[in-house]
Amino acid sequence: MSATGLRLGAHARVLLWNLCFVLLAATAGCTGDSPPPTKPDEPAAEATADEAEAVEFKLGDMLEPFDPPKLEELNATAEWVDRPVVDSLAQLLELQASEPEPPTEAEALALKNDTPGANEAIRRAMGRVRIAKNGDFYDDEAGADWDAEIIRYANGDINSTNYVLYNSATEAEVHALCGFGLFSFDAEMKPFAAAESVVSWQTSGNGLIDKVVMRDDLVWSDGEPITAHDVAWSFKLIMSSVVPIPAVRQGMKEIRWIEAYDDQTLVYFYKDSLATNIWSVNFPVIPKHIYEESVAEDPTLTRSEYHVRYEDKPVLGGPYEIADRKRGQEVILKRRESYYLHQGEQVRDRPFFKTVRLKIIPDQSVAMLALRKGDLDELQIFDPRLWVSQTISNEFYRRNTKVQAPQWLTWSFQWNTKGNPFFGDVRVRRAMGLAFDHEELHNNLRFGLDLPGIGTYHPDSPWCPDPTPQPQVQDLAAARKLLRQANWQDTDGDGVLDKDGKPFEFTVICRNEQWRIDICNLLKENLERLGVLVNVQPMEATVLIDKSVNHQFQAAFGGWSTGTDPDTSENIFATDEGRNFGQYTNAEVDRLFAEGKREFDFEKRRKIYQRIHQVLWDECCYTWLFHQNAFYAFNKELRGYNFSPRGPFSFGPGFSSMYRPAAL
Amino acid sequence: MNGPTTDNASRPSAGFWLETWRGFRKRRLAVAALGFVLLLGTLAVASPFIAGVKPIAMSYKERLYFPALGYFARGWERPVQPADDFFGRYDEELFAKDPESWAIWPPIYQDPSRPVYGDQEWPGLERNPQQRNGAPSATNWFGTYKRGTDVFTRMLHGTRVTLLIGFVSTGVAAAIGITVGAVAGYFGSWVDTLLSRLIEVVMCIPALVLVLALLAVIEKPSIWHVMLVLGATGWTGIARLTRAEFLKLKTQDFVTAAQAIGVGRLRIMSRHVLRNALAPILVPITFGIAGAILTESALSFLGLGPADALSWGRLLQAGRASNNEHWWLIVFPGAAIFLTVLAYNLIGEALQEATDPRLKQASH
Amino acid sequence: MTSYLIRRLLLATLTLLLITFVIYGLIRNMPGNALDAMMAGADPSNEIDPRDYERMAAVYGLDKPWYEAYAHWLGNVLQGDFGQSFKHRQPVLTVIGDRVGPTLMLSGTSLLLTYLLSVPLGLWSAANSGTTRERLAGAALYALYSFPAFVAALFLQLVFAVWLEGTLLELPLIGLVSDNYQELSPLGKAADRLRHLLLPVVCFTYGSLAYFSRFVKSNLEEVLRQDYIRTARAKGVGPVTVVWRHAFRNTLIPFVTLIGLTLPGLLSGSVVLETVFNWPGMGLLLLEGINVRDYPVIMGVTLVFSVLTLAGQLLADLLYAVVDPRVSYD
Repeated sequence: MSATGLRLGAHARVLLWNLCFVLLAATAGCTGDSPPPTKPDEPAAEATADEAEAVEFKLGDMLEPFDPPKLEELNATAEWVDRPVVDSLAQLLELQASEPEPPTEAEALALKNDTPGANEAIRRAMGRVRIAKNGDFYDDEAGADWDAEIIRYANGDINSTNYVLYNSATEAEVHALCGFGLFSFDAEMKPFAAAESVVSWQTSGNGLIDKVVMRDDLVWSDGEPITAHDVAWSFKLIMSSVVPIPAVRQGMKEIRWIEAYDDQTLVYFYKDSLATNIWSVNFPVIPKHIYEESVAEDPTLTRSEYHVRYEDKPVLGGPYEIADRKRGQEVILKRRESYYLHQGEQVRDRPFFKTVRLKIIPDQSVAMLALRKGDLDELQIFDPRLWVSQTISNEFYRRNTKVQAPQWLTWSFQWNTKGNPFFGDVRVRRAMGLAFDHEELHNNLRFGLDLPGIGTYHPDSPWCPDPTPQPQVQDLAAARKLLRQANWQDTDGDGVLDKDGKPFEFTVICRNEQWRIDICNLLKENLERLGVLVNVQPMEATVLIDKSVNHQFQAAFGGWSTGTDPDTSENIFATDEGRNFGQYTNAEVDRLFAEGKREFDFEKRRKIYQRIHQVLWDECCYTWLFHQNAFYAFNKELRGYNFSPRGPFSFGPGFSSMYRPAAL
Repeated sequence: MNGPTTDNASRPSAGFWLETWRGFRKRRLAVAALGFVLLLGTLAVASPFIAGVKPIAMSYKERLYFPALGYFARGWERPVQPADDFFGRYDEELFAKDPESWAIWPPIYQDPSRPVYGDQEWPGLERNPQQRNGAPSATNWFGTYKRGTDVFTRMLHGTRVTLLIGFVSTGVAAAIGITVGAVAGYFGSWVDTLLSRLIEVVMCIPALVLVLALLAVIEKPSIWHVMLVLGATGWTGIARLTRAEFLKLKTQDFVTAAQAIGVGRLRIMSRHVLRNALAPILVPITFGIAGAILTESALSFLGLGPADALSWGRLLQAGRASNNEHWWLIVFPGAAIFLTVLAYNLIGEALQEATDPRLKQASH
Repeated sequence: MTSYLIRRLLLATLTLLLITFVIYGLIRNMPGNALDAMMAGADPSNEIDPRDYERMAAVYGLDKPWYEAYAHWLGNVLQGDFGQSFKHRQPVLTVIGDRVGPTLMLSGTSLLLTYLLSVPLGLWSAANSGTTRERLAGAALYALYSFPAFVAALFLQLVFAVWLEGTLLELPLIGLVSDNYQELSPLGKAADRLRHLLLPVVCFTYGSLAYFSRFVKSNLEEVLRQDYIRTARAKGVGPVTVVWRHAFRNTLIPFVTLIGLTLPGLLSGSVVLETVFNWPGMGLLLLEGINVRDYPVIMGVTLVFSVLTLAGQLLADLLYAVVDPRVSYD
């Protein structure tokens, strides 16, 4: 039998790519965002013109007209350079074969994860994919249970089954399994073309063009072939102004044009020669033959009777298809036979699980009970308190085990450098960091589970300077000194610092989750010791986003998860960018980001981002608090889970290397 | 059906309250309950002097301070001078700077919103245990929670908030509800029509929408805002009941009689009708006082409300977040809420019987 | 009577207009809108270009001032179009329709249970008023009342779903039905639903017993003190007959008010319990709607509540006339 692994990664990257750092939302953090609704430099008249034109659907009306050259011309002039086409599961297997043999699963499962050593043993043992290579495919040694079901945790429902309309975390998970994609990236976030969809990938010598040859054995779930025309058409659809695309458009702005020269040959033309172009090619692809006619009549893709029918039973191109859906309860995915079988032959790895059930459980305490009861097979633990308390009993270990691994997710206080008399001054920002009791945070709010925050890039990443900055420690006297230098003193004797008659009293906003509120309350407690008053204002995600993008805050607590490329930080720290909520501005940082994008040499690029990291750290643009590890609980029957800086799922192979052995 | 005799209802006001007190006094349980609530009130006022990390009184560099007052309102805590000596804590470091200084401390050295940090503050002081180790002990009678905050101290200081939530929110609700209901029921016709529509409008606005909307708009949401919102949305039931009672009572002989002898409308409404209508209205009011405590805790479950409210309900929510593993976070606040709710209701019941003129008549 | 009814219906229409207007204004003026909420929706990839933002705002009707948008919404509603949910991408009526069943199942059962238990409890308390038994029972009810359902629910889940797992008493943790529901026999299906319903209904019901039974008791006691009851007693009518035949009927007036108040409760659900039990009810729908500023859904749910509330009021007023001969609407 041969086998497989869905290259989940191949699809998953959509979640991660184009994107950027996330103010982690549902799960972790404070969430993504959008730029301000209006830009002053856009005259109203233009907006009105847009509206008028927006009524009529016109395919690709947001694209500049482009006349692609003939393929022969291209081939003659492009000086193609081959780029990697990778079978990510095979790559993982090779990697694991080269590593020393870990403890056996039985040994690892007998352990309690209460020391770093035990964690390492469990992580390595359970990450092993016990499958031997056999020709083009794999045979499983232990005998994977091909009828297995996995019940995954989701904290929110999917709103649409249409790939181009996705935007929630759960939808991203679903489309990682059901959607069609050409590219992926590995645990080191190196991009590659996915071998299950692509024959070859080449880039032109000047970096302006990518050429991909797709496989000819790809079919949609309705049996129609998946071709280059689907990809090119989906691109144009996304670039049509009346189609309400929530998530992906912005990440694709560097693509000038995509041309399908035949059913398999696809060429991407970029506007500029950038190191980051590759991250923009992974957008959702939907079947052209289904939507081509209907979209003009109903550009929302959701309202017409025809679209409602396909919303309920979508035509999908990934390893799984949506079998059933109980709104607010669960989404049930079934393995798609036509994904790995083509005309009766197995042409791709067979996905390990027959059924994937995403159970929607809004309350974490209840999700924890479900895990203990065996109603869930995996659970991401957000609150470190659960890691040190509710996952230590024998009862928990009866069915489950747990693993933690480094994750590039960084939490911080963000200071709004404009619009208030406090945080424009670097001395005040530094004083905030010095006044905060980092030790108390680490030991007693985070239970020593995280790395101390030392800046925007994770200490494990190549973008973090060497030597790394030293974590801040509380020093109230030094903080007071800095504040005095910045002229903040208690002149009226009321116990509160003031300057020009204005008291030092500010509000810190955060999502209304208890653990975040606790951290803000610690800031409040610490700053009161210096005569600085803090109001903690927890709020819903929606309000938080609204206030953040409109810069209507003084300080905020939130976190960014990593993008796949260091350049994804540009819109957080460069002047006037959409996610630069704190309106930080520094000409050197702006220039370095612009340079980094254009630099293809890895070492030179690395120097640029290390410098950015150092400048941001020195300027105390944020007060970085901690880098949060990924905490996961898994059912003991699961095997083959590995971690990337973005957790165990969102990379290649990610989910597709997970399986349940039959011999249990 | 005969109403009470008018001579009963037209007695001067003092008589009414005295009568009520006499009736109330007869119920020993209710008196005990009243004693309990008064005790809570006393504790609420005295809490900073019982448990805290701020001296009740102290002398530092020849000045006298009463820092414990800061627990009531920040502004009442006179800042220590010179300001450079003081890092927000009345700790060893501070007093070491003036050998002449002295301080009178509350008997329990614990803070309601943070743990005591141990050696950092005073040599020999132990840091509060936390999480699973935070079970009740000789130092932390009701255990600790989160970073090690003492639950007893928190509950003691929380008495203020918990009592206020009940009385303020229900007070607001009762004031609006009784007024609107009484006016609507007594005057009838277009006044009733208009006010009934008002009741309906408020009734139809989901409280959740209102709470979320207001908390999103308010710059510095405090527990007072929550109380007001609860009050402003919670009066419709009282209004409906009051209106129904007034509708029923206004046609009765004693009202007609009072009207006939020229008693003013306001007086008839407040003196004659309201007193007779009070009994059924007291049920939602007493339950409302108790219910506000619970509603506040439900808000904390939904992540709403101010970040640092010391209410008892929030402790329950913290206990729940531990998947009920920290039993002391359920048992002590749970018991406190239960006793308070019980006391309110016993008082309410007794009041209801004591204010009911028919009962007084019957028991004579 | 008919003219009264017509007048009330007209008034109710006006009230509805006012309510929807107020709510629409309120929610549209809350900070943040559906697009912000989408961005907050957890996906890393969300970054919207300002011009896209405007385009989408136009698609969702967010570009108009709220009163204009209200007029637009109202116009559509009058034509039977309640709009499409931003979040669920389905017509609002479908979204709400999906929630009605589960909500009714939970709150209907619970309300029925509450009445069935609290009326006898109240009568019993009234008949035994002042005895130790009655005091103890009252204290027990208050104890239930003062224990928040969200804490109790987790306890019950822990006990019945986790600790008692594998025993006959095991109950499901969350949800409406089991994973294997489709494969069950009709009888098995019914049993499965019942098992899922049990814990939520208990949590939904226990707290309100105290209130309702106290309500019945206090009203009954009031009536018992009336002259005609004393007369009846003096004439030698037995206590049970007094309570049942003479007194109870007269407590109906406030009780009718209460029924009017609880009618909308049938569909309002409970945000807290629905969250804990993952019960796809109206309470959760409204909360989610508010959280993501799904204006059409919020308005739809509000409309349903409002209509029920107004109907409850009207019903109560009409019932007054039925149970109390002194009230008439001529």
